[in-house]
Amino acid sequence: MPAPGLRRYRSLLRLLPPAFRRAHGQALERMYLDMRAEWEEERGEPGAAFWFALTADTGRVAAVEWLALLGRTARSAAAAAGEERMSEIIGDVRYAARQLVRQPLYSTVVVLLMALAIAGNAAVFRVFNGLFLKPLPFEAPEQLVDLDETAPAWDLEFLSIMYRDFVSWRAENSTFESMGLYDEGGGNFVGDGSARRVTILLATHDLDDVLGLTPGLGRFFDPAEDVPDGPRATLLSEGFWQQEFGGDPNVLGRTISIDGFPIEVVGVLPPEARYFGEYDMWLPLRGNPDDSGSWSYNGVGRLRPDVTPEQALADLTSIHKALIDERPVNEISSPVVTPLRDRFLGEYRLGGGFLLGAVGIVLLIACANIAGLMSVRAMARGQEMGIRRAMGAPRGRIVRQLLTESFVLAGIGAALGAGLGYWGSQFLVQPLADQFPAFVTFDLDLRFFLFTVAITVGAAVAFGLSPALRAARTSEAGALSNRSTTGRRRRRAVGMLVAGEVALALVLLVVGGLSSLDVRQLGRADPGFDTEGVVSYRLNLPGQRYENGEARLAFAERYLEALEALPDVEAAAVGSSVPLSGHWGWFFMAEGAPPRAEDEANPVVLHRVVSTGYFDALGVQLQAGRIFDDFDGRDEDAPVVIVNETFVRTHLSHLDDPVGAIIHPGTGTPGDDAVGWTVVGVTRDVKHYGVDEEMRPGVYQPLAQNPLGGFHVALRARGDIAPLMARVRDVTAGLDVELPVHEVTPLETRLRDSLFARRAISWLITIFSTVALLMAVAGIYGVISYSVGQRRQEISIRMAMGAEGGKVVREVIVQGMKLVVAGAALGVVLSLAGARVVSGILVGVSATEPWIYLAVTALLLGVAFVANYVPARRAAGLHPMGALRGE
Amino acid sequence: MRTPLKTQYFQILLALSDRALHGYAIQRAVLDQTDDGLKLWPATLYRSLTRLEEGGLIEQVAPPEDEPDDERRQYYALTGEGRERLNAEAELMTRWVQAAREARS
Repeated sequence: MPAPGLRRYRSLLRLLPPAFRRAHGQALERMYLDMRAEWEEERGEPGAAFWFALTADTGRVAAVEWLALLGRTARSAAAAAGEERMSEIIGDVRYAARQLVRQPLYSTVVVLLMALAIAGNAAVFRVFNGLFLKPLPFEAPEQLVDLDETAPAWDLEFLSIMYRDFVSWRAENSTFESMGLYDEGGGNFVGDGSARRVTILLATHDLDDVLGLTPGLGRFFDPAEDVPDGPRATLLSEGFWQQEFGGDPNVLGRTISIDGFPIEVVGVLPPEARYFGEYDMWLPLRGNPDDSGSWSYNGVGRLRPDVTPEQALADLTSIHKALIDERPVNEISSPVVTPLRDRFLGEYRLGGGFLLGAVGIVLLIACANIAGLMSVRAMARGQEMGIRRAMGAPRGRIVRQLLTESFVLAGIGAALGAGLGYWGSQFLVQPLADQFPAFVTFDLDLRFFLFTVAITVGAAVAFGLSPALRAARTSEAGALSNRSTTGRRRRRAVGMLVAGEVALALVLLVVGGLSSLDVRQLGRADPGFDTEGVVSYRLNLPGQRYENGEARLAFAERYLEALEALPDVEAAAVGSSVPLSGHWGWFFMAEGAPPRAEDEANPVVLHRVVSTGYFDALGVQLQAGRIFDDFDGRDEDAPVVIVNETFVRTHLSHLDDPVGAIIHPGTGTPGDDAVGWTVVGVTRDVKHYGVDEEMRPGVYQPLAQNPLGGFHVALRARGDIAPLMARVRDVTAGLDVELPVHEVTPLETRLRDSLFARRAISWLITIFSTVALLMAVAGIYGVISYSVGQRRQEISIRMAMGAEGGKVVREVIVQGMKLVVAGAALGVVLSLAGARVVSGILVGVSATEPWIYLAVTALLLGVAFVANYVPARRAAGLHPMGALRGE
Repeated sequence: MRTPLKTQYFQILLALSDRALHGYAIQRAVLDQTDDGLKLWPATLYRSLTRLEEGGLIEQVAPPEDEPDDERRQYYALTGEGRERLNAEAELMTRWVQAAREARS
């Protein structure tokens, strides 16, 4: 275990250049220990002052050393290029700055275009980096894998882990350094008289080794505490420790009460533990290796160095399958090993990639626009270049001069954009943080900086190089004389840029349109339950005081009665879960059903235990039969059940009328004396996992048949939630003062949150596509204006000769729209080519939905037409004499 | 690294004039020499040591026999050049001090 604070000092030392760290890292750590000991002896526990001084010291040296390193690199580069070059470059920058200040409008437009594009890229990259690139905040995170079990035969990708399987894996594997199990839990904590729900992580005793955590205070769990009847011990989170014990180090050895059990505090978790989730405390999992009951735990493992997840999987699978004789179910289940990040974030990778692509396109369009502007300007500056050439400036010098201008503009734009992007991404990052595991963080790092610099340099070269080269070529051709032929060539190049912009903008508009439509449809999709006015919360009855089913059922009945007596409550119910709140899977066999084929899956069934009013409170509609009445479930010999439509399809398709069917829980053949459950009703499907998720078969069992100790309460109510919940808490405390009400969430919020990531992706793509459209239109406008300006003389003469204004307008528009139509056609082709990839982020909408293609093409053509029309109109208004004078 | 030396360089050379020391001991010695006026925090100290070593004034040496062993510690000692430099520097300072005294009297 490292000494206190050493880990923190090590992370400080990471600021220093690697060479410095290699040379002195160990010595610095050693010196830190000496200084810390001295400080402790003289002034006690080192606090902020100590760390401030250390941080300032390390930070200053890091800055100086990095700068020195950069300076050395730059100097050696300069030495290679010759000192003279260096001073030339400085001269170029000065000259560029002067040029740019002299043309404030042009400079501002370029800087703003860059800032906008870089801001989008920076914002999206910050999120992408946090999700997929940044190392997870654990020791050697590349060794960490998620563990699970899978059961394709039950139509379950992830089954969770059975404790006895874990015990075998842990004991017999040769590929893991360590592995641990964990589960979320909660308990009722009675502090100063009032009850409060605390969040608990149940962890096997070795989870600290897996994650590389050392307790902030005290110790981690003993193996002896991690057995079913072991001594009760807990580690408090830093936050809980501060809040409840004011950070008192004497908390070790104290006893707290959770659900009425006395539990000894053996340690305080380090702050890093929060990356595994914000829990108030950790308790030992106390699993029973003989229990063959259920698959209910999450697993995490640390691979040995140089072991791949595939090797680890092969290792665990051979252990798992060798046990089939003893545990026949291992035939169906098998282990899963997934790198930690992939398991939790894999499904967002495609959406993230799309966003990066979208902002990339925006950047490309911005570059094309700037390149267009620069070309135009280079033409205007042809004379200047010609003179410089004539006075003996080498061609390379002119190219470099123009490139320097690009870099200066790009640099200013990027600085603005990075700031704007970082600030703007705040609005994305905050709600996103709730959607992802706690180990996903979005703070800035070196990667963000490097990315911004890289795309800036890339952009500057992209938009600056070709105009610069062309300008130099032009001047060679003799800019002092004729300019019409090169002008035409250049116009064609600019025209191609515009067509390219239009194509890219159209692609983005298509993706944006498709995903907006998709999200809109999902938002309107009928989830099969009511959300309006329905609020849910959880309640857990401590097993000590509610020992048996009768006590729990009696409580639930009295409680529901009290709730329904509240003036604003229309209906109240309890259930093992409400929609969007988790899964409880069982298996069922229907009597008289034909046996399933060898390769046919026996799908897992969502099992819900509900009180009679559940269907009413949530607005679940009955399709056939009846809902539960007050007598259902009380007669042990006549169990009843309600099933959903999907269940009828997957289990009861052999019957004409599902009502009256008998089903048996379990996967095996029921014994002759087994009492089956009679189906009394069929309800409509409820999108329990979210409207964008697949539907599973489901059954409802009456509460009286299976009285739960912990449940979700659903209330259908009028009026505001806050005053209602205050009354609900009173009612709850009136029946049992030690029962905290927790996880209060309106179902509307649950439903909205379940679609948040999809919505965010769709919004962002739509925003970026709008920006792309505007930029492309601005490009069209600029090019047409310019070309009209070029043809001013010709147009004026024709007008003077009696040409009609309308004809001129038509001509200009046709010329411009040719480019636009070509670009749009290319965009449609590109979109269709990419449709298969796009369909990956859509649920209900086809990636080739013709309406979207038509609508965005029409939109684009319409806006482009206006962008053509305005300069064309102006051309037609040219006064003959004015134009002639102009030349 | 020409005359006059920066204060912390001079103080480090002075601290090493008796014997080879490791980083923390150098910090302590400099504190003693300056009446707690100059505290060289770790990164600053090791950066100075690197510069002095590059200038050929000090060198890394094996830990002395009588010190408790910790392989993480890096010990430094004056080179011949370093000793000369320290003397020259002290000489220079003496002259300055003399000049200052004369100016005041």
